[in-house]
This record gives sequence, C-alpha cells and structure tokens, in this order.
Amino acid sequence: MSGLIRGNFAFMGKVALLAIVTAMLALLTEHAFVQKEYAIGSFLLFAILALNFTYLTKFSIPLKFFVPGILFFIAFVIAPIIFTLSMSTYHYQTGNILGKGEATQQVVTLGAEPDENGTTFDINVGETPSGDFAILVSDIANNKFFISTKDTRTEVPASGVTLDENGVATAAPGFTLISAEMLSKSDDYSRIHYKYQDKFYIGIEGQNVGAVFQQSLTYDKAAGVIKNVVTGDTYKDNGRGNWAKVGAPDEMLTPGWRAPIWFENYTKLVSDEKVRTPLIKVFIWTVVFAGMSVLTTFALGLLLAMALNRKIRGRRIYRSILILPYAMPSVMSILIWAGMFDTEFGAINNLLHTHIAWFTDANFARGAVLLVNLWLGFPYFYLICSGSLQAIPTELQEAAAIDGANPRQIFRKITLPLLLQILSPLLIASFAFNFNNFNLIYLLTGGGPRETLDGQIAGATDILISYTYQIAFGNNTQDFGLASAISVLIFVLVASISLYGLKKSKVMETFG
Amino acid sequence: MNRKRLGLFGVIASAALAITATVVPAAHAASEILIWADETRGPHLATLFAANPNVIPGSTIKVVSFSSYAALGDALDKYTGSAGPDIFIGGNDWVTKLAKSGKLAPVTLTASQKSNFAATNFFDLTYKKKIYGVPVDINNVAMVYNTKLVTSAPKTYGDMVDFYKANKVSKGLKAGLCFTGGGMAWGGLSGLSALGADPYFMRAKGVPDVYKGFNGTTFGNNVKKYLLDANGKSNGFFPATDTGCADNFKAGLVPYATLGNWEWKKYQDLGFTMNFMPVPGVVAGTYGHMFGSVNGAFLTTNAEKHGVAVAAKSLLTGYFASAAGQIAYEAIELRPPANLDAQASASVSDAQKNMANAATLAGIPQIGAFLGSNAGGANYWDSSGGYWTAVLVQGKDPVVEGKKLAAMWKKNVAVGKADL
Amino acid sequence: MNNWVRENLWRHVLAIAVCLFSLFPLYLVVLSSLSTNGSLHLTSFVPTEFSLKNFRFLFNSPKIPFTHWVQNSLVIASTVAICSVVIGAASAFAFSRLRFKGKKFGIQLLLLVQMFPAILALSAVYVIMERVYRFAPQIGLGSQAGLVLVYLGGSMGVNIWLLKGFVDSIPAELDEAAKIDGASAVQTYWLIFVPLAAPVLAVVSLLSFIGTFNEFILARLFLVQMDGRTVAVGLQQFIGGQYSQNWGPFAAGSILASIPIVVIFLSLQKYIVNGLTAGSVKG
Repeated sequence: MSGLIRGNFAFMGKVALLAIVTAMLALLTEHAFVQKEYAIGSFLLFAILALNFTYLTKFSIPLKFFVPGILFFIAFVIAPIIFTLSMSTYHYQTGNILGKGEATQQVVTLGAEPDENGTTFDINVGETPSGDFAILVSDIANNKFFISTKDTRTEVPASGVTLDENGVATAAPGFTLISAEMLSKSDDYSRIHYKYQDKFYIGIEGQNVGAVFQQSLTYDKAAGVIKNVVTGDTYKDNGRGNWAKVGAPDEMLTPGWRAPIWFENYTKLVSDEKVRTPLIKVFIWTVVFAGMSVLTTFALGLLLAMALNRKIRGRRIYRSILILPYAMPSVMSILIWAGMFDTEFGAINNLLHTHIAWFTDANFARGAVLLVNLWLGFPYFYLICSGSLQAIPTELQEAAAIDGANPRQIFRKITLPLLLQILSPLLIASFAFNFNNFNLIYLLTGGGPRETLDGQIAGATDILISYTYQIAFGNNTQDFGLASAISVLIFVLVASISLYGLKKSKVMETFG
Repeated sequence: MNRKRLGLFGVIASAALAITATVVPAAHAASEILIWADETRGPHLATLFAANPNVIPGSTIKVVSFSSYAALGDALDKYTGSAGPDIFIGGNDWVTKLAKSGKLAPVTLTASQKSNFAATNFFDLTYKKKIYGVPVDINNVAMVYNTKLVTSAPKTYGDMVDFYKANKVSKGLKAGLCFTGGGMAWGGLSGLSALGADPYFMRAKGVPDVYKGFNGTTFGNNVKKYLLDANGKSNGFFPATDTGCADNFKAGLVPYATLGNWEWKKYQDLGFTMNFMPVPGVVAGTYGHMFGSVNGAFLTTNAEKHGVAVAAKSLLTGYFASAAGQIAYEAIELRPPANLDAQASASVSDAQKNMANAATLAGIPQIGAFLGSNAGGANYWDSSGGYWTAVLVQGKDPVVEGKKLAAMWKKNVAVGKADL
Repeated sequence: MNNWVRENLWRHVLAIAVCLFSLFPLYLVVLSSLSTNGSLHLTSFVPTEFSLKNFRFLFNSPKIPFTHWVQNSLVIASTVAICSVVIGAASAFAFSRLRFKGKKFGIQLLLLVQMFPAILALSAVYVIMERVYRFAPQIGLGSQAGLVLVYLGGSMGVNIWLLKGFVDSIPAELDEAAKIDGASAVQTYWLIFVPLAAPVLAVVSLLSFIGTFNEFILARLFLVQMDGRTVAVGLQQFIGGQYSQNWGPFAAGSILASIPIVVIFLSLQKYIVNGLTAGSVKG
C-alpha cells in the first residue's frame, strides 16, 4: 500500500505532463489536418501515439529514454536529409521549382495576353438581379457603357447610367453595385472572365480597373498538352519539367516544374566536364584545408599545453587570454578578420608595412583562411591537450628519462603517440567539422578569389560546402538538384573517412 | 479503476478538451496584404501605412522588414507554397530569376499609368514581355569633383588622369577616381563604360541593341593608356575596389568620386559642392554610362492564393505607382520618385537636378535579363569587378582580359534576350 | 637563474606571443567601437579618439532595439541549452548504460548523420517550418518558438553524441549497485545518474548555449521582425546593408554581446576544460 502511494505521486505527475503534451500535440494535429498539411499532421499523430504508448505501457524501457529525442531527430534531422536525398534525383533549379500542377496553372495564367492596344477600362463590380457577378464597364473615350457577366454583354445607353465625378458609370438598370468592403472578403469575382467580344474577355486588374485579354494558352488535360489557340502551336511535357513546343523543343514555356530525372545529377558529377573539373579542384582544397586546419590548430594547441603544463607564473592569466578566441562569438570574429585583411586599410598590411591583396590572390587567400581558422581553433585543442597531458601517466616518461632519453625523444616516442591515441576521435571530429566549415569560408572570403573572366564558378578558397551553397543559392541559376547530389557525395566521403578513422582508433569497439 | 486506465483516461480527456475548446486560426488574415522589404525600406513603409491605413478600402497592410537586403533575397529564394509575401519591394535584378521560377504574377497598367514613367523604367520589371511590378524610386550615381582640389569640370577622362599624375605627390592623392557607394559592379559601371566597356548598348528609341558588343581591344588599350604605368602596373588613378573611397574623398585625398543619389546629402552637409556630372569619356562630349535603375514593388503569385490579388494590384498600380503615393513614400525614404509627376512636384534641390541631369546624359536602363545571364561564363555582377582585379591587382594583360570580357558579355546578351 | 631561463623562458615567450595573436583582433574591435568614422580601417594602432557614440547609438536610437536583441538571444539560447540537455541526457544515458537491440546501429546512425552537410537541409527546414506556419503560426516560420524547435532538433544528434562521451566517462559502479538493489532504470536515471552527471550536463548546456548564441544563418531567415531578432542577426544589418557598411555600431554591439559569453566562459573554464577532456579521455 505504501509503495503504491509513493509511486502515485510520480505517476500522477507523469500523467499530468503527458496529458498536457498530448493535448498540445492533439491541437496542432487537428490544425494541421484542417489546413491540409497531411504529412506534418500524420507525424504529429505518430508522435502522440508513440509518446503515450511508451509512457503508459511497459513495452520498452530504453524507449522511455529515447522517444523525445527520436521525435526531434526525425523531424529536423532525418526529414531534411530525406528531402535532400530525394531532391538530388530531380531536375530542380531556377525555373523548375514548382509542382507540375501549379506550374501548369501558372503557364495558363501567363497565357492570358492583353489585346494589341493594351485596352483598359474603368469598371465597377456588382451583380445582376439574378445574383451573378457583373461589371459595369465605362468606355469613357467613346462614351459607351455596358454590363458584362461571364456569358453576356449588355449595352447600356449613356443616358441610362449614373456617372461619378470622373465620368465613370456607377449605376445602371439591372446592375447593383457591391461595395469595396464587401468585395474584399472574397475575390471570387476577380477570377471570372467577363465577356467582351470575339475571343477577348475583360479581366479584373485592380479594384476599379478591367483589362482586355485573350486566353492564348489552354491546357488540354485529356491529351496532356498545352495549346496556343492563337498561333496553333502545341506544347508537350518534355519529361524534364517543361512544356516544350512540338517541333522546336528548345522553345519552352515558363515556369517549369521539378521533374524526376533519377541519377542524372549524379552522372553529371562525373560526365559533365564543367561540373567535374571544379569539383575535383574544390575537393582537393577541401581536404587540404581540413587537414591543415586540424594539423595547425592541434600543433599550436599542443605546444601551448606543453608550455603551460607546469605551474609557471601568470598561467591563469595566459589561459584566460588564450581561450578568448574560443569564447568570442565566431561570426563576429570572422567578420572582423575579413576587415583586417583588407588591402588598403586592413590592419594586417598596416602592421607588416606590405600592400598585399590578400583576397584577390589565390595563395594569399588560402593562407589567410588557414590563419584565421588557426586563431579560431587553437584554444579548443589547447584546452583538450592540457587536460589530456595530465591524464597521461607520468611513470612512462620518468622511466624513459632515467634511461637517458632526452625530452624531445620522450615527446616523440611516448607522449605524442599516447596523445594521438587518446585524441583521435576528436581529431577526426575536428576534421569532419572543418570539412563542412561553411561559416568561415562564406563570411571570410565568400569562396573567392574567382577567375570570373575565365568562367570559373569555384573560387580558390571554396570548400565543397561553400561551393554547394554557391550552386544552390548563388547569384546565377540556382540548381538545387545538382547541389543536393553534391551534398550526398560530400556526406558519403566524410562519413567514410570518419568511419574508417573511428574503426582504426577502435572507438567503435566500445559500442558493443 | 486501475492506474493504467486512469492515466489513459486523463490523457485522452485533456486531448479532447484541447481539440474542442479552440477554433483553428487562419495563418493569413483575410484581406491582409503582406509586404516584404529590406532593413531601410521596410520600416519606412511601415511608418507610411501606419499613417495611411485605408489606402486600399477593405484591406489591411502588414509590412515585414528583413535584417538586410541579402536576407530578403534569401527568403524570396527559399519560400515555397504560400508563406511568402503578396508584394515585395526590391531589386530589379531579381525579376528574371523569380519570374522564371513562377513566383511573380503579372501586373497590368493602364495607358495613363504607364505614361507616368519613363519607358525604360519598365525594362527592369519585365520578364518575357510581361510586367511584374511598378517602378517606385530611382537609383543612380553621378560623379562630383572636389572643388578644393579641382577648379573646373574635367572634359575628358584624360583630363582627370593628367590632374592626378600632376598632383599625386604634391597633394598626397590616394587615387584619382573612385566609387563611394553601390559597389564596384553596379555603382562602378561608369568606370568601365567611360573607357569603352558596356554590358549592352541602347538604340536611339530606348530599345537595346542585342547584337552589338563593345570592342575589347579598344577598351584594353584605353585601360593601358590611362590606368597603367610603363611597367604595366596600376598607376593608382583607379583603385580596383571601392573600399575606403568615401573616407578618402572626404579627407580630400581623391579629387573625383561618384556618389549615390541616396547618400549625396551627407556630402553636401560636409561642405562639398554637388557639381554632379557623368564620368567623362576618353573623347570630349562622351560619357561613361551609369545605371539609371528603378526599385520596384512586385506582385507575387501568393496574392492570388491569399485571395488579395485585386487589392494587391490596386495597391501597386493605384498607390505605389501613383504620384500621391510616391510623394508620401519618398518624403520618408528620401530617394527620387520614379513617377514623373511626383518628380516634377517634389521640391527639387539643385543637387537633385544636377543628379537628374547627369542621369539624362548618360543613364542606361538596368536590364536584368542581360546582366543576370551567365551564358558567357559569368554574369555582369561577377565579371565586372573581376576585370579590375585581373588587370589592376594581378597584372594581367588589359587587352587579353578585355577581349574575354567583351566576348562574355556579348554571349550573355545574346542568350539573355530570350528573357526580355 | 640559468636553470629558470632554460626551463621557463620559452614558455613565457610562446605564451605571450600567442596571447598577442589572440588579442590583436579583439583590440582592433575595441578601437573601432570607440572610433566615429564607421569603418574598420585602421591607420593607427594607438587610439586617436575615444568616443562612446557607437554605444550610445545602440541604446538610444529608437530604431535599434538593441536590448531586445540581447534579451532574445539570451532567452533563445538558454531555452535551447536547457531543453536540449534535458532531452539529450536521457538518450545519452540509454545509449551508455542500457542494453537493447539496435544500440550499435543507433550510435552509428547518430554519428554519421551529423556529418551530413546541413546547408541544403536548410531549405528543407525552411519548407517544413513554412508549412507549420500555415496551421500554427505561433511555432512556425518567423516565430522564436519555431526557431527554438529547429535548433533543438538540429542539435539533438551532436548533443547526444557529446553527452554519451561524457556519460561513458562517469563510473558505472554506482548505478549498477542501484540496479542490484532493485531500482528500475528510470529510478536509477533520476536518483543516481542525474545528480552525478550534473557538472557534465552543465558543460554541454553551456556549449549548446554558445553555439545557439552564435548561430546566424537560420536566425537571419527566421526572425525578420525588428524586435524579435537575435544579436547576431541584428548586428549583421549594420555591415550587411545594400549600399553602406557601418562598422562602429557593429564593433560596439559585438563587444557588448560577447561579454556575457566571455564572462560565463572564463568563470567556468575549469569545468569546461574538465568536461571537454572527460568526453575524450577514456582511451
């Protein structure tokens, strides 16, 4: 009995918390379904079931620990990765970003051509006695007036209309004006093609403006083609996300849609020389950059750790200053470094009394990138190394010293190998981090310098991820499909390097 | 009731209560027009519409200001579905990209509305013969000379170079000509154009000549003659970047500089004479072209999805494009309005007049279809600065690079014309 | 004396040299923040002017809600720091101490997924939150709550991985003893493990705090409303403008924004060092 009471308190707390969370999620699920967001709604429903099932049954103890983490992980890590994976099989770039349905609808919308003179009329929107939307059109230049609905056009003699101060008709027999406030509630009336003459109709182009259009493009759903009724041209789905003219496949209608092209983005990486050459160049620099960054930051960090691995005067102050670069918000320090490397006014040229164009020369730019990354990264390894040095048993070193080894030998043969063994997971993690160190490159050099006149897209300091960003979000055509394929490639590369490294360092063995 | 059931019951009951007790809200309020703008225009628009809430009867207007122009551009690229704006205020160089992807919706202007603007203004707003927005205000740059250093207006490019060479040492000049604002690509066009490099040429009637490219050899030789010394190094007259131009000009260390029409007031307040003129060309009476471009208010396809298409179109054509609307807006934003009536009625200062005169002499429309095209290898924005870096910093041959630039831009125009 | 020189001089020389390297950019920021000319161009390394104009601008300009930005950053970063550790610690505990099917697979997945370049995932996250906005604007795109959710989700993998490393280094004897005494896994977790791991959890939440405080690319897309921005986004607008850059207020703001982090960092440096190494030193 007492056990029950003791547990009851915790139990009631758990149920209350679960109830609150469930209630909130249920609410969101309902809203999601109402707004037709079925994918997210289903995920939320799954979350509710998973939470309640896990915490109200004894199905699995480990799951009780995992469920919240897993749910977040799926929503914001796994889902975006799956999105990227699937996008890499699509023709998905500027001009091809909508779904097919929406793109086709817009092609048709854009197929409404104004008449030759760009005729516009002053209009007022109202309704006929039978309740249909109608417009009262004032052709002021010709002093003519008429009422148009979807199917009819009724002339009204000038004597029969009431004019406002601009000479625009506001009232006529058989026409009831609808107020602007009423109209603003729904714009169904604006989707109607009001009858004008021949193939032309009047479309609503503003609260009191109508313009004359002709619907030149029509979608023939049954045949799956778009027809231009004026020129007689037919446009077919070209299988790559565009309506292309029959007989002239290069003439395409915009916008297009994202269409599946399976592995084309991947084969492009190998077969398209324009993609492959910069990719290889960028890949080499990425490896060099990541490797050098790890090496330099680790070396300086280790050196400092060894120098300060003894109680010397001022050690605390040194340490406080040395970790400042790590504590400073990196976005700000990178931007400040960028300013310091300026050719004319930068502090670095000023200090060295040089006039180096740091960011326009490939090698200087690479050097600058490595230097800044050294500044950003050495405190981390300094902290790690100073901790690890203390963790290395001193007996070995002392024994070696007694055997007559000098300090350099002790370091090379004993301390360093031991440290490397301890720190290899962190070194690998650091390599992986720098492999994808987007912020540094993006904010410092923007990937430049680029030999734009020679048509280079990849800059001298571009690493794979900044190059990918350039392809996906740059100034030029934004190719999300290709960028996704490169992302997947980067992932495979980094993952294999890391897995290999971890296997070698035997960290995985402790997973069992 | 056992514990398990009690727990289950509690959870279900609370969930049911939550579902029934609330009404699903609509994310986008009915008849609300959503406008996106950057960090300077946004707050100004918000002020404007707070003072004039009823410009569109029956609709409310909400302005969202991004933290920078670049952030606005990013968001416009990324939004899908209907979460984007109904209208955005921004750069004309986005039109091609966004219209091609189906994010913009066409706007129809009446003949009288069109006649309120210079015909060339619409180049900036057009993609494949459809207009996607209305011109709001004008951006251009013009050159001033520091009267404390130079006594009379230069007639040719050579005059300026001669003055620089003669006074470089005695007056400690840092450069001869530089650009204070607008960047080396947009603001720096006149520097390229004065020596003969133009991204495209206009015919007399304001129609672009899509077959003519500039002569890379002539341009390269001009660069050699005016900007390089005997060793092929930069003679310092023209810096490859715009960094520090403003500071040096203010300090009297640069005799000629271009100012933007959004920033001249600062310099006037510092006591400079606003003797605006285009950058003179190598032959007297010719000038380097500058972009006389407009910022637009653009309509997106979301307006239709949100059911505010008519209201948004009315806001664009009836307010943003109108003289009254532009006068009210520019009273806060302080740029020259694009609407000709608004230009005429605004209290125009001498500086503004000089600025406008310079634009009349040498302004060309900013045609995004050409400038954004990278068919030749790189678009105008990336390649124009690239030329100066290659020649003035890296010491490459100006003629060879000039020919490359000419070939690149010619191809860009030839392909880009499909998007006009 | 000679001995001292041989033993210690190089240590001091090296430390001072690297300290100068560390401080150099920071010194320039301070100089720029005290200068009135709005550029980061330094013609002199000796301060020529001492003006608080930039600092006053941040606090007095009606258009610049600087204090709001700092507040937002602090609120967002602390929420993320606390929640991510609360959620992450449970998973890390399970990975470290419990036996179950698929554990190895789970850990490997966790590790590999972190290596996926997140730049394109950005677009996906944008699309997801845009859709959430349609039915729940309070937690969708543009809301701070939405940004917190995204940060939490995005940092989950890293945090669990990091925490697992730390947790592995905590001796298992105590909770194994508890298990023998008949305590359930959940009880062991709350009563034994959490108190024991508290310092480690604090360190990870601190690192998470700093990471979030620094984040800029997502925040720039998410928090567009002036009052809702974080410091990093708000300050960037001074130098990210279309036509002009204003380094003075940026430098001043950077200094002010860095102070809380630097203070936390320096006062807790001992724990951070221990925490960082605990995660790695287990050979």
